[in-house]
Amino acid sequence: MNGDADKLLAYNGGAVVAMAGKQCVALASDMRFGRDQFQTVSSQFPKLYCLGPRLYLGLTGLISDIQTVSETMQYHVNLYELNERRQVKPHVFTSMLSNHLYAKRFGPFYVESIVAGLQPKTYEPYLASLDILGGTTVSKNFSVTGTCKAQLYGMCEPLWKTDLDSMNLFEVLSQALLNAVDRDALSGWGATVCIIEPDRVTLRTLKARMD
Amino acid sequence: MSRRYDSRTTIFSPEGRIHQVEYAIEAINHAGTVIAINSKNGIFILAEAKRPSALIADKVDNEKIYKLSGCMVGCVAGITADANILINYARNQVQNHLQAFNEPAPVEKIVRQVANVKQNYTQYGGLRPFGVSIVYAAFSREGGFKLYHSDPSGNYASWKSICIGANSSSIIGTLKEKWTPDIDLTGAKNLAFEAYCKPCDVQSISSKNFETMVLTLDSDDKPLFQALGTDEVENLLKENNPIKAS
Repeated sequence: MNGDADKLLAYNGGAVVAMAGKQCVALASDMRFGRDQFQTVSSQFPKLYCLGPRLYLGLTGLISDIQTVSETMQYHVNLYELNERRQVKPHVFTSMLSNHLYAKRFGPFYVESIVAGLQPKTYEPYLASLDILGGTTVSKNFSVTGTCKAQLYGMCEPLWKTDLDSMNLFEVLSQALLNAVDRDALSGWGATVCIIEPDRVTLRTLKARMD
Repeated sequence: MSRRYDSRTTIFSPEGRIHQVEYAIEAINHAGTVIAINSKNGIFILAEAKRPSALIADKVDNEKIYKLSGCMVGCVAGITADANILINYARNQVQNHLQAFNEPAPVEKIVRQVANVKQNYTQYGGLRPFGVSIVYAAFSREGGFKLYHSDPSGNYASWKSICIGANSSSIIGTLKEKWTPDIDLTGAKNLAFEAYCKPCDVQSISSKNFETMVLTLDSDDKPLFQALGTDEVENLLKENNPIKAS
């Protein structure tokens, strides 16, 4: 029905992958901002957005829509926190995003999203992925999205194990991302990884193939 | 004689007044007091939240002072239901600005936008004005700590210290007397309680009825909003209550 969707989702290129560990969750993205397949406009474009102390949003797809959706979600989260006077929970945020995307059912935002966070109090990992119309899947292990989705699945499936601690989770996630984007012309040009733990969030940049 | 000219907002009286607007301002003089004082290193706000009944279920600690953004707070006096509409509008306008310009909304812009909404109800539609006065306290890189006030007419101005609500005229008198440009935050806290207690019936003052807000900068030079603890409120009340001695 939406013939343009695939083309537009691949226009700028990009990849995001998230994994759940023991009381921690990690989210990584490439840094490429491309134009129409052959040109790379920037290698400083991470696709991860922080929406709360333990809530991150990773988006791939058309970068114009990535920027708009992340800004609009920041708008809604701000209003929620002002009115409710408490932080938004990951599953609530996922519903907000899903609603926002479905509101554009017949003229969608060309973004595929991953919500990664820790539940309040229990700090259990929360992972959800959303398609362009806001269709949601909550995962227990990992979520992938981007132009190298298939390659990412191929890397995550054998590498991921239950109850990885934050250091090991970081290693597994980084290897999954780096090797997947190296088999995709439209992703790569750098990588950034975010580890979310109950007491801290660590952002790291990876040394990657710059091609 | 002015009876003929006060039932509609959209007309002037022969003396050149809009009575409905004045009546709205009068309604606010029956509402809980809000005192806001600007000082060198921050702003202190003291608000009296009136308890209409002992049967009210929870301690309502958000009836007078509302956070509008990361750097701005709005304090209301008047008809709470009207205030809710305006506070909601202000919060939405702040986010609209943030989304469009990727910078914190400037205080004056928000004050002006809300004031323009209020003005609308004094000129069009035949609807009654909002019975709310709002005091805005904000910090910005460009302007430092600022206080603004807008009333039901839609007029607004920037203030060094301001009081709205019950006893506002006598409290403003005290503020005019005692506020100095080099007052600091502690001085501001004491001045606010002193000014509040002066015209009051001592017996009815109870620390549980206050909402307070201190706006300062944190160690990263970002705006920080904190309420005073009940102990500190008790102490400030004790120290500044003039009848305490007897």
